Amino acid sequence: MSEALELEFKVGCSPEHAFQVWTARFSQWWPRGHSRSGDPDLAVVLEPHSGGRIFERTPAGVEHDWGEILDFEPPNRLRYLWHIYGARAEATQVEVRFAADGEATTVTVVHSGFERLGARGEELRRRNRAGWAGLVPHYERAVASAG
Amino acid sequence: MALADDAFEALGDPNRRAIVELLRAGDRSVRSLSDELPISRPAVSRHLRLLKQAGLVTDRAEGTRRVYRLHDEGADAMRAYMADLWGQAATRFRLLAENTQEQRR
Repeated sequence: MSEALELEFKVGCSPEHAFQVWTARFSQWWPRGHSRSGDPDLAVVLEPHSGGRIFERTPAGVEHDWGEILDFEPPNRLRYLWHIYGARAEATQVEVRFAADGEATTVTVVHSGFERLGARGEELRRRNRAGWAGLVPHYERAVASAG
Repeated sequence: MALADDAFEALGDPNRRAIVELLRAGDRSVRSLSDELPISRPAVSRHLRLLKQAGLVTDRAEGTRRVYRLHDEGADAMRAYMADLWGQAATRFRLLAENTQEQRR
């Protein structure tokens, strides 16, 4: 069983600005090359509302979903499903908190759910099987159309 | 981080994801996998070799055939990969947030 990843750091700006940069400028700070298509000119879009999609769009207009916003609560909290590496059924969860700390902001990232990526008990495998069967073909078409 | 990098790449291929998908439902031989996939048995073997190198599957001999199963440490490999990635992401995020408008420091 994998534990959650937890990361905390300070940033020299207000929580409002930190939240804005994290969401509206996601494309600018997310490490280049860590994407589905690997296209150097792709754009990353994070739709700024609960239920919003997080996806990459290549210059040719092909889109690959990376996740989905669960909670969009500016300026203090953001939570999203994350599956940049695979299908949605294997999504992990990312929670980001922005807390004012004098002139700065403490950012806390908790990335959990890695146990879902590994082997699992027979019961859980069976239970997930139907869901996977429906998702994988759709996902593969999306990948295939990227060429 | 070589192992984890491989895991990330290994899952970037639709045929390998399909193999992982089939193994999720239970252990299988190469033949049983290739029967359900639109690719040849040698191609399935190649993908399995890569998945094994990436730490995502393990194999065992059963009589004359090899049986593959998902490896429990695959999740840990992905976790290690993400830990490294978050380090880079946090640095890039801080630089951008501190060098754009509304800067206070």
